[in-house]
Amino acid sequence: MSGVDSVSNVSVPLMGFAGQVLSALGDAVIAVDTRNDRRALARIDPARTVEVAKKMFEMDGSRFATATGIDVRDGIDILYHWVFDKVGAVITLKALAAAPEMKIDSIANVVPAANWIEREIHDLLGANFVNHPDMRRLILDDSWPEGVYPLRKDFDQIKDRPPLPPQPPDTGEALP
Amino acid sequence: MALKNWALRKSLWVYHVNTGACNNCDIEVVELLTPRYDIERFGMILVGSPRHADVLAVTGSCTRQSQPRLQEIYRQTAKPCVVLAIGSCAGAQGIFAESYHMGAGVDNAIRAIDPNAIILYVPGCPPKPEAMISAAVKAMELLKEVKI
Repeated sequence: MSGVDSVSNVSVPLMGFAGQVLSALGDAVIAVDTRNDRRALARIDPARTVEVAKKMFEMDGSRFATATGIDVRDGIDILYHWVFDKVGAVITLKALAAAPEMKIDSIANVVPAANWIEREIHDLLGANFVNHPDMRRLILDDSWPEGVYPLRKDFDQIKDRPPLPPQPPDTGEALP
Repeated sequence: MALKNWALRKSLWVYHVNTGACNNCDIEVVELLTPRYDIERFGMILVGSPRHADVLAVTGSCTRQSQPRLQEIYRQTAKPCVVLAIGSCAGAQGIFAESYHMGAGVDNAIRAIDPNAIILYVPGCPPKPEAMISAAVKAMELLKEVKI
């Protein structure tokens, strides 16, 4: 795991703008790694993602940039990147969707911008977003089998490829 | 029959298919129409439907999602038709060949429909407009042999 977990310094007073933001989240923050005043990574309680997202969303000048998924040993890490454009700060909040179920609460009902990226993470990595409003397939093709996640570490890009999509049906139409 | 063949060679109409290209090849295809290269002097124009086309200008590496669509477009194109596989991706899937979401490749996908398809490869990333003009001229030479 990354350095975020090894630096568990919530008791240390948080400095700068990033510190103010993370302090506002209260005890939902499990571990903090502050790089400088305007760049911070924090691990949050996976059971409280919706509450944290709501707090971040309602903060002055905040914007949900995107989310990232990483296949790690204990499950899938979801990284929510929040940007404060006026300050120039980027706050990344990590939450672990723990194996084997890889379930995590969807923040798409609170933050509409997270809708598509959560669908994409579900497609490619297989994290299960609970209470997502519209969990349809987003970017893999229609013939891709369910339950095959191409960006997992154990997926071989060549050996594990599913069979190719079928040819379109021949209509027997006479052509000019 | 010779008249039909002559008319075909004098007015090759092109339909442009993007099967997942990065748009660089597409920009070069559009460049062909500009006064500098002026592909219309050969009687070639871009048309909006494969039903009107004699040439399919295919760019992109043929992803899984676009493969059945490419096959359907080839099926709808009036025969005889020439496929120009433009760029490294269309020729041999380029740097994406070992990626998880690739189809069979432009040439294999079309040969699965029609084993005798005429496919010309224009390598390059992107190919120069001169290379595409050269391919178009070769296509005209090839069509001399085709019986309509």
